Amino acid sequence: MGLKPATNPEVEAATIELTIDGKTVTAKDGVSLYDVISSTGKIIPAMCYHYTFDPFGSCGMCLVMQEGKKAPVRSCTAKATAGMIIRTEGDDLFQARKKAVEKHLSVHPLDCPVCDADGHCELQDMAFQHGVTNLANAKQKFIPEDTRSPVLDFNMNRCIACAECINVCKDVLMIDALQFMKKGGFNQVVAKGDLPLACEFCGDCLAVCPVGAITNKFSKYLYKPWQMKKTTSTCNYCGDGCQMYVETKDSEVIRVTSPLSWKNKWGDRAETSKGHGGLCVKGRFGFEYIDAPTRLKQPLLRKGNQLTEAPWLETMHAVVDRFADIRKKHGPDAIAGLITARCTNEELYLFQKLMRAGFRTNNLDSSARYGHMNFVHASKLALGIGRSPNDWEDLTKAKAVLVIGSNVTETNPLTAVRIKEAIRVFKAQVMVFDSAVTNIGKLASHPFLIKPGTEGLVIDGLVKAALELDLVDEENVNKHPQAFAALKAAAAHLSLEQIASKTGLTVDSFKETAAIFAEAPRSVILCAEGIVRQPGGYQNVLKLIDLAWITGKLGKPGCGVNTVTEEPNEQGAVDMGVAPEFLPGLAPFTDQAARDKVAKAWDVTLPAVGSGANLMEILKRCRSGQIRALYVVGENPLATLPASMDIRAALDRLELLVVQDPFLTDTGRMAHVVLPACTYAEKDGTFTNLEGRVLRVRQAMEAIGESVPDWHIMTALANGLGCQWEYESANDIQTEIMKLLPGYYNLGQPRKLVPTADAYLSNGYAAAVAGRYKTAAPDSQRPFTLLMGPVLYHSGKLSTAAPGLIKVAPNTGRLRMNPSDMERLGLQDGSSVKLTSDRGALQMGVQQDQSVAPQTCFFPEHFNEPPVKDLMTVDVDGTTGVPSFKRTGVTIEKA
Amino acid sequence: MSVGTLTKKILQAALFYEIWDAMKVTFKHMFHKPITFQYPREQRTIPDTHRGALGLLRYDDDRERCVGCDLCEAACPSRCIKVISSEDAERPLQRYASEFYIDITKCVFCGYCVEACPVNALAMTKMYEFSTHDKRTLLFDKKRLYDIGERHLDDAKKYLYAHNQEKNVEESREYRYYFPQSVLKPTQSTPKHLS
Repeated sequence: MGLKPATNPEVEAATIELTIDGKTVTAKDGVSLYDVISSTGKIIPAMCYHYTFDPFGSCGMCLVMQEGKKAPVRSCTAKATAGMIIRTEGDDLFQARKKAVEKHLSVHPLDCPVCDADGHCELQDMAFQHGVTNLANAKQKFIPEDTRSPVLDFNMNRCIACAECINVCKDVLMIDALQFMKKGGFNQVVAKGDLPLACEFCGDCLAVCPVGAITNKFSKYLYKPWQMKKTTSTCNYCGDGCQMYVETKDSEVIRVTSPLSWKNKWGDRAETSKGHGGLCVKGRFGFEYIDAPTRLKQPLLRKGNQLTEAPWLETMHAVVDRFADIRKKHGPDAIAGLITARCTNEELYLFQKLMRAGFRTNNLDSSARYGHMNFVHASKLALGIGRSPNDWEDLTKAKAVLVIGSNVTETNPLTAVRIKEAIRVFKAQVMVFDSAVTNIGKLASHPFLIKPGTEGLVIDGLVKAALELDLVDEENVNKHPQAFAALKAAAAHLSLEQIASKTGLTVDSFKETAAIFAEAPRSVILCAEGIVRQPGGYQNVLKLIDLAWITGKLGKPGCGVNTVTEEPNEQGAVDMGVAPEFLPGLAPFTDQAARDKVAKAWDVTLPAVGSGANLMEILKRCRSGQIRALYVVGENPLATLPASMDIRAALDRLELLVVQDPFLTDTGRMAHVVLPACTYAEKDGTFTNLEGRVLRVRQAMEAIGESVPDWHIMTALANGLGCQWEYESANDIQTEIMKLLPGYYNLGQPRKLVPTADAYLSNGYAAAVAGRYKTAAPDSQRPFTLLMGPVLYHSGKLSTAAPGLIKVAPNTGRLRMNPSDMERLGLQDGSSVKLTSDRGALQMGVQQDQSVAPQTCFFPEHFNEPPVKDLMTVDVDGTTGVPSFKRTGVTIEKA
Repeated sequence: MSVGTLTKKILQAALFYEIWDAMKVTFKHMFHKPITFQYPREQRTIPDTHRGALGLLRYDDDRERCVGCDLCEAACPSRCIKVISSEDAERPLQRYASEFYIDITKCVFCGYCVEACPVNALAMTKMYEFSTHDKRTLLFDKKRLYDIGERHLDDAKKYLYAHNQEKNVEESREYRYYFPQSVLKPTQSTPKHLS
């Protein structure tokens, strides 16, 4: 709260006393008077104030009388000082505020009936509250509307110049895409340089606009706020788990709004460390896939060579009969299942129960296997927790953040906002190691551009630097002297000079980073796709845990090794036991006590210990013919994995492929049966976000067509196979999970897990660590490195079904390259190149991208046109079975 | 029984007194002005304030008055109105109702929607004959509502005058909204009172 929150959260501000309306109030020194008044429960009207940023003081509404001053003062920009005597009510103040409203209204067009903000407009409310009925000297601005941006329209006639949009963009999101510009005699909000708006399109400016000056292109003119049904739900694009309001009319999603809005402008600034309530472009503008015309509305059954629509009953009979037939003939291990982590916890739980108790097989996996599993295994082994130990608050209040291999502003924009707040408010030092010029790198105090694929080496270097500079935490290390000796021995052969030359950094940068990291009272490590989706991801996470251990950052409050997830419920998928190696609650599948508990709860015999297959193994067994039936829920391996995996052949060999998805995917087109499933907006459930918070997903509308929630289909399937499941709603499943995993839901709060590395460090650590620090630099004979990864505007393949996001970021089909490389090769935007890797060659266009480092090129992983992914080689991690296929060496020639 | 009474009875029987007595009312009504209103053939005169079928109106230059502000929908106590609006492609920045439905079977004829309308696009008419073979035709769509408005334009205007919603066409211009101009097509000249 305040003009400036205390930059150091440990130092408490001094307490002062002042009198407000005859009552003595205590407050912290240095905060805004407005905040002090609002903390007493009094609400003074204010149109330019929002608690997430510093007071701006343009609206002139928050007037109060201060004793000793003749004229009213603006309370938001006034600093609360000791001994102030303040009056907040009275006829003179009412008249002064009314004048301020009249001033705004006199240049505001009274086009309320055609304005989208009608009924959700602060100026309207203020005019009503203050009884403004006639306006002298009203004038119109006649400013043309700016409709150049793909998602927002700027109608500056309605602007009251409160600057909330500019402040939120500059202060909270640190994007700074908007500015004031004097045009035609009026101050107007325009995109920087009066160009078409080109920003991250998070739409937080739209959310805070108290009038209808910024309007949403998607819902413009369609409906008024009061016509829509508002449902609080959780976004299903990334692991941030942002809360949002889905606004629907009948069976149509009209728009998505955020808890961040001018409507809740009163709050404690310190509260924003748990999230400022905003959304990103995906959440706010990527809702259109829910009622897209491409949604499946009827089950599809393969008849001959064609998928034809069939009634549910007939389809379910066919599915059950064929599954039962295959199980009878070839045993339960001939059946396998894959599920996406975009399903709710309840569905994930039910899926693994269906596989284990219904089909009696342990061949099951989720899309957490594409990377997150590396982190989970490392964290489970070393710390016993299997998820990120820190929440958003820890991240915000950290003094040092080590971001390694994570383009967090693109993959998880709202987690990135936490780091931005750490930088801005808490003056954290942020060290970014990435092989691309990332946005978080631009804001960081210590950005480092490394050679692609050398993230592992960087960690080696940091550990070595910490050892060399003796930054070790004696207390922690002395508890396990043997382990520390083993680590020292393992890292003995490392030379910082060599690592520096291989990674493209200097020795000093390693030393500096290690020193900042070790000396900060609260240091957080954030590793993501650059670590967990790359070869050696598992070992690299363990090395990061080593780094945190020797510097004494394990188990200390506010410190830890964290990851972010790409899909909303990857953590939930792991927690629910959708992996052959885990039972619900992250218990190992081999753990007899956990097996007994689960078997008793389900009243079945679980598949034998040692049975089961993970994603890669399932696909291998499909190819070899061991697995004859595959049940795919929302997954799309055909479009995700490179052609070298030969997924098409593997799926072709199957006797039965059942795909359950809201859309007809590439895998779905090969299926024998396609079952239409609901999206998150049509069902109830929960997601577990990257902090471990369990967040509610609520049904916002009726199911489209004949689609049915996944849990419903799975229950029907299980009952067809002879189980006696009596789930009537997602709530029933939740009750069962609550019994099996007490405390999992924890009322939506992140469960604080204390990581303990003692068991890991005292048992077999020496043997494990011996081979850990032998990272080889990626050696490729080819001059360029091709990277594939996510971009801000998309998430997986799902978002490509949302026309709004495609409009913002269409598939250009072009390879992104650094301008200097393009110049060197004599390429222009749009010129064609031949891209050759070990797996094949491809001809495609190129485009300039400043964020791509020299010697690398980038293509978004969301698009398969042209099939760049097929150039990739798949590297499967020996311990965790995670396939990595996001990086390869390539040659680029002018074609 | 006395002789007098008997004689009277015989006389009454001979002259069919009871029948004449009963027919008295009938004969009396032969000379009355008939009270029965021959409804289908005759139409009643209805006061201007009568709340009948709802219609949508146009301005004299044939432009739709409705700006799709949805206030009628908000005001409707029986929730029988549904408005879907969009931007007029020919006149950018102008909102209009692309779809407009009134479920007249649900309507309670309270007239709140007419009162709520900021541009006097809705009005009630003297039309009250809704009988039909198919109930579905009672869901009035936009076309039907404009038809009603056109056919009963005079009644609709009288309704608005009677309810003090609109004085006359000239004065009612004051109620109209002036829209911000568009980049694409400056269609409106600056309004008189502003320039």
